[in-house]
Amino acid sequence: MSFLNAEEPGVCDLVTDFGINVLWHPSLGMELGERLHELLQDLIAGRRPLDILVFEGTVIRAPNGTGEWNRFAGRPMQEWVRALTAVANYTIAIGDCATWGGIPATPPNPTDSMGLQYLKRDRGGFLGADYRSKAGLPVINVPGCPAHPDWITQILVAVATGRAQDIALDDLQRPKTFFSTFTQTGCTRNMHFAYKVSATEFGQRKGCLFYDLGCRGPMTHSPCNRILWNRQSSKTRAGMPCIGCTEPEFPHADLAPGTVFKTQTLMGVPRTLPTGIEKMGYVKMMAVAKAAAPRWVEDDIFLV
Amino acid sequence: MSENHQELLERMRRMLATGLQTTVEPFPPTEKEFFRIAEALRALDPDDIRGKLVIAGFLDHPYGPENWKCADCIYYLANRKWCDLPELAVPVEPDWYCRLWRM
Repeated sequence: MSFLNAEEPGVCDLVTDFGINVLWHPSLGMELGERLHELLQDLIAGRRPLDILVFEGTVIRAPNGTGEWNRFAGRPMQEWVRALTAVANYTIAIGDCATWGGIPATPPNPTDSMGLQYLKRDRGGFLGADYRSKAGLPVINVPGCPAHPDWITQILVAVATGRAQDIALDDLQRPKTFFSTFTQTGCTRNMHFAYKVSATEFGQRKGCLFYDLGCRGPMTHSPCNRILWNRQSSKTRAGMPCIGCTEPEFPHADLAPGTVFKTQTLMGVPRTLPTGIEKMGYVKMMAVAKAAAPRWVEDDIFLV
Repeated sequence: MSENHQELLERMRRMLATGLQTTVEPFPPTEKEFFRIAEALRALDPDDIRGKLVIAGFLDHPYGPENWKCADCIYYLANRKWCDLPELAVPVEPDWYCRLWRM
């Protein structure tokens, strides 16, 4: 559903401007029943080429590795995944479930779920660490819960226009163009972060959400404040903490009670500090920044 | 609150200076204990300043091994001399302390 909201480029642009033939999609696909089955068999047999396999959803292996708890088109989904990834020129995992296993793979992982090439941060996953698509690339991971639709369409365009080899991937196989910066990059609350002024309630327009409300923007790799959602806003801009959904550990702290939307501290200091900052530096920075904070940073400057 | 900022600050200062016994310990080590204190504060009348001082464990001086003080706390607004934690929402001096201190 997120995919259908893409704007730059939009889903229709993929077809009209970039010549992508969408063979099947759960909401857009025209093929049903036997015809879908026939299409899938043609792809697996090589009678039709499968340029790009875009997979969303966790790979369910329960019970006992059979995958019978998630059947699709007459057989366990995991069997389709195995067969289709073997013939795809490129394989793209969309969303946390397909990349890392997602919420279903959170311990105790009753459905024995895993991502295509990762289980949380451990490389391997359903396809194994050595998997390469026919074009020689590992799974391209586009995480998020949900993934931003424009991340999806822009990667599809890069692959479809022959620039797949130009997509630099980070150590979690995420496209660096999206995932080398932090959610905090471009956040409108950065001045409040800098001067250590905290938001204390959801929806407040002043204050940083990191200090009290559990925002993971300073340690989450995503472009959520560079490529805005609906081209308008982002969680943090709207006063909602980043939940760190592009990182393999999401949902963080395994959703233990009291861990969501609350900065976890130990003796008053955040347990997880902004990436790259040591505790001593954080403490020093806090004292200096608060002392230097100008009056205006304590006011809601967005109100007129 | 009917009192202005300065009057209220002065009243709080007097209460602390004249030996008001507040619950300075235990310091809440994690969010779980912090939440319990915040919950007790929420049960108070917002004008119950004495109750806030006692439950939050206010002191009119820095406290702890690293001399924690309001000036270093994330809830402190330096220019207004104000504690912005919704459950407290009181004027404070930069060198005061309470056990809801967080960095």
